[in-house]
Amino acid sequence: MGSRARIELIVSLAILIVVALVPAFVANEYWRGVLIVSMVFAMLAAAWNLLAGYTGQFSLAPATFGMIGAYTTGLLAYHLETPPILGIPAAVVVAGLIGLVLGRIVLRLRGPYLALTTLSFAEIMRLVISNSIDFTRGDLGLNVPGLFQSRLAYYYLILGALAAVQLGLYWLLQTPVGLYLRAIRDDEIAAASRGVKVVWWKTYAFALSAAISGLAGALYAHFAQLISPELGLISQSGLIISMAVIGGLGTLVGPLGGAFLVYYASEFLRDFGNYQLIAFALLVILFARFFREGLWGLLRRPFERMRPAIAAPSPAE
Amino acid sequence: MPCLFVDGVQKAFGGIKALDGASFTIEAGELVGLIGPNGSGKTTMLNILSGHLAPDAGAVALEERPVAGMRPEALARLGVMRMFQLTRVFPRMSTLDNLMVAGRALGLEQDEAERRAGRLLADLALAPFAHLDAGHLSGGQMKLLEFGCCFMVPPRIALLDEPFAAVHPTMKEIMAGFIRRRHAERQTFLVVSHDMPVIIELCPRTICMNAGKVIADEDTRAVLTDRAVIEAYLGEAAI
Repeated sequence: MGSRARIELIVSLAILIVVALVPAFVANEYWRGVLIVSMVFAMLAAAWNLLAGYTGQFSLAPATFGMIGAYTTGLLAYHLETPPILGIPAAVVVAGLIGLVLGRIVLRLRGPYLALTTLSFAEIMRLVISNSIDFTRGDLGLNVPGLFQSRLAYYYLILGALAAVQLGLYWLLQTPVGLYLRAIRDDEIAAASRGVKVVWWKTYAFALSAAISGLAGALYAHFAQLISPELGLISQSGLIISMAVIGGLGTLVGPLGGAFLVYYASEFLRDFGNYQLIAFALLVILFARFFREGLWGLLRRPFERMRPAIAAPSPAE
Repeated sequence: MPCLFVDGVQKAFGGIKALDGASFTIEAGELVGLIGPNGSGKTTMLNILSGHLAPDAGAVALEERPVAGMRPEALARLGVMRMFQLTRVFPRMSTLDNLMVAGRALGLEQDEAERRAGRLLADLALAPFAHLDAGHLSGGQMKLLEFGCCFMVPPRIALLDEPFAAVHPTMKEIMAGFIRRRHAERQTFLVVSHDMPVIIELCPRTICMNAGKVIADEDTRAVLTDRAVIEAYLGEAAI
């Protein structure tokens, strides 16, 4: 892992630095807004990647936890006038707890059964929010108080949150937890028989992934100032999944780079409406079938060739 | 105090009694072979001993502590390490990381785990492949790697299910040599194998199962000439 992870960290930081410098050159508010939403998606894609790419749990509910985070802070503000400084942490906790419960429920499910159960969960949550009109205002949408006047302030707040998520995940994956999660992804039975607490770490991954998604959703809610159950649509989850898969599943750089590329592309393809989803879906199939480590895996190949995996036999090992 | 005590273990899958009151005892430091025709219950027994199955009835005790029905990860932490008949490694993790999983999960510090992994890689002739994904190893190398994972923390008992099946003779010798050395250091083993020459050469004592029962349990050479054992393998007509 060592050097490979370090390259990923350096490239991640480079991407974040470029994003940090963009406002110096791009004054257009619209494109700054596009980048802010891209950063929110990058957090959601990174969270889903922790679960799917590193732990092997293909949840189809990544957008749902973003929606849960958005509604947690939104509803707290709407009903109890809770300030965002409490609402956003509450969103992290609530999304994390619901993720923990979902993680326990699907603990023994694998592959298509896991995917279908999380998909049902996603639709149930969306319908509950959509139909609880007295409480959530349903499809009318919920107004959420803003944080700042200036879009630039949002830009750097959300960039800071994204950087914290990215560095936090890097750190986590360097600890033995990274080993345990990847071991569970590769072979749960083998992981258990080597002493890995499979139940514990799977639940942990679900809860942490949901908590990060909740943070992203809450920040988005205060930025957009209007949220609706559409945040939890399957197509939103599809977008998040395509970002991680096209960028590179099970890598740190993949979801980060993928989020900017895919969201930027989706802005260009906006005129084509839902047809853009077809294009992304085709790309996902293509990458999942032929390039399992996504664009980042392709970019990384020349470096890997320079550093052969098989060392010359040396008794010093 | 016996290392492993198995008493009257029963396990049925639907109407098929895979284990029908099997009992045996293994003392610490023993190297015991477990043989029997296909379907005699050897792998079911290992699955119960390693926590992958719970017995329907009977007792299993590890150093006098009842362990029947405990989960695999809990048993691994108590020192029951197991190698599978169909090799199980983590294909998308490096050979080194495969060993590190076992080491860290069983409580070793990073430095100590790295040190032991390095020594195991050298002992098992896997050092050149330390940074190769385990999925790219040869079948025999994967077996060696899985074998190595059992010894990151010396287990109380190592359960090896067909460790030599379809393994190149050179690698077989590496593994057998490793088992002999560890046995000399009083490591306890239970080895399931169809490879009689290896069992004869390696194991002083052998247990033979048939139809879910232990039919012979004594000195290996005595087991192989036992009337009931020959009958189980070749059928009554052969005698």
